[in-house]
Amino acid sequence: MEEEAEAEEQQRFSYQQRLKAAVHYTVGCLCEEVALDKEMQFSKQTIAAISELTFRQCENFAKDLEMFARHARRTTINTEDVKLLARRSNSLLKYITDKSEEIAQTNLERKARKKKKSENGNHNSRELAEAGVVESEK
Amino acid sequence: MADRNPDSDSTPRTLLRRVLDTTDPRTPRRPRSARAGAQRRTLLETASSRRLNSQTKMTTRRHSHGDRSISGSAYVQASGHLEEQTPRTLLKNILLTAPESSILMPKSVVKPVPAPQVVQPSRRESSLGSLELQLPELELPMTLAPGLLAPGRRKQRLRLSMFQQGVDQGLPLSQEPQRNADASSLTSSLNLTFATPLQPQSVQRPGLARRPPARRAVDVGAFLQDLRDTSLAPPNVVLEDTQPFSQPTVGYSPRVYRSLPCMPHTGAEDTELAAGCKAQSSGPGMQTNSPEKPAQFLAGEAEEVDAFAPDFLSTSSGVSGEDGVEPLQDGVEEAEKRMEDEGVSEMEATGAQGPSRAEEPKGHTEVTEAEESQGTAEAKGPGASSGDEDAFDRAASPELVSSTPESLQARRHHQFLEPDPPPGAAVLDKYFQHLCDDLEVFAAHAGRKTVKPEDVELLMRRQGLVTDQVSLHVLVERYLPLEYRQLLIPCASSGNSVFPAQ
Repeated sequence: MEEEAEAEEQQRFSYQQRLKAAVHYTVGCLCEEVALDKEMQFSKQTIAAISELTFRQCENFAKDLEMFARHARRTTINTEDVKLLARRSNSLLKYITDKSEEIAQTNLERKARKKKKSENGNHNSRELAEAGVVESEK
Repeated sequence: MADRNPDSDSTPRTLLRRVLDTTDPRTPRRPRSARAGAQRRTLLETASSRRLNSQTKMTTRRHSHGDRSISGSAYVQASGHLEEQTPRTLLKNILLTAPESSILMPKSVVKPVPAPQVVQPSRRESSLGSLELQLPELELPMTLAPGLLAPGRRKQRLRLSMFQQGVDQGLPLSQEPQRNADASSLTSSLNLTFATPLQPQSVQRPGLARRPPARRAVDVGAFLQDLRDTSLAPPNVVLEDTQPFSQPTVGYSPRVYRSLPCMPHTGAEDTELAAGCKAQSSGPGMQTNSPEKPAQFLAGEAEEVDAFAPDFLSTSSGVSGEDGVEPLQDGVEEAEKRMEDEGVSEMEATGAQGPSRAEEPKGHTEVTEAEESQGTAEAKGPGASSGDEDAFDRAASPELVSSTPESLQARRHHQFLEPDPPPGAAVLDKYFQHLCDDLEVFAAHAGRKTVKPEDVELLMRRQGLVTDQVSLHVLVERYLPLEYRQLLIPCASSGNSVFPAQ
């Protein structure tokens, strides 16, 4: 039992490390872009610090999101929770709100399309069924 | 204890032995030695030793709390090798029972200097005696092994004390502690003690207060100016000048009285209420307000209020004319409303539970101005202007009626005696503003219009006060007085009744 727990711990740890490495790589890429843009170099320690910070902040975000969802008596995290999380920074909040509206719109469009398709499909199937019935009756 | 020497015909060694025997029974860990000590005590008990007992007990009791901790550590050490009544333990007991003149660091760590400190210049005889004792100490090798802790600790203490002294007086003592022999360290400690009288002055600030109290003088005026400038831009107005403090008492009291009759209204009559109260209070209030406000505040408020004016005037449509003064009025009320929000929201949060003040301490840890804001809240609850936070203002107002107007008056008089806001007020306001926004958002997030205790708990969770390890009830138990605990934590009592009802 303890061995299993330990193995699990190990696995979790290795997952964490991989995630951290991924974040670190992404942060490095972004920092390179910014460095090219501003013609300023980033030291390795800076990139490491930023990536560690990002990782820990993501952990915080996750906990907060869960708290918010629980506060609203839900079990799934919603866009509302995300918006609540981002409310501190005005620009970020605006960005997220716009994005969420976009997504909502596309969802609606998809639903509309699906409805149309399903209606058509229903018609078709009905026709097919009728045809089938007719054929069978024949 | 120095005067004991001529009295007893015994050597310091026997003296110490008696001391040891008397202090022995107090070690909780060594029942054997306690028994042995009891035996020896019965054997050796004489009048002088009895006197010794009382005196040592008195001296130990007279010492400060630091000494208690020292004695605790000494007990720990003593218990380590108390099987044998070694001179080492005897010596430690001497150190315990040092006379009052021993200079103990007020707050300083137990570690630094209990050992060398205690051996006083006034007690040179005993120090000489302890010098004698050192020889048998060295002769007992077995005690050294378990007792290694003690010399190590003593050495550490010595080094620290010596360092302190070296820093203070430039004594070239750094050589001494490097010698491993206890005798030398003890002698060095004896040498040191002569210098101890000078220590306390420098160590008035113990290790805890490392930094000087005033780090940099913040230019409050410039800060407030910057805040004012930046606050004009964003839509959410930050109150840079704490409203209540600049309010004259004269101008305020009529408003209080006017606002109180407004209280019975509840619920949806927000705008009418606000308008009505404003109309009532604006009459006498504005006359006293305008001349008495400081000029800069007026200027700031006027600009600030212009941002608000659309919100305000739209809802306070009932209020007539005098636009010049009314925006000021609104600004004032708005500013007060900001102040009150902290108190109100917290009170609202406990609206269901007990008296409103019971919940005030909940936010009190963060809210230093909660008291004052609550004072304003209680009066201004109904008189508050419209805004997005009004929803819970209204619901709170019926409970606010319970507080007597006289107490409010008294409180507010106290508040408004000083005309200037405290220097950190602007920052505090911003902080409270954030808090209230958060509470409001949390309530809205749960689809509610009133701020409930769950919202406050969520806020505390975000702040890190409430964690998975530390629950809210734990905090309540830890920080609030007992009366509030009864009101906050549901407790079952006889007859299947739970109070407060959940």
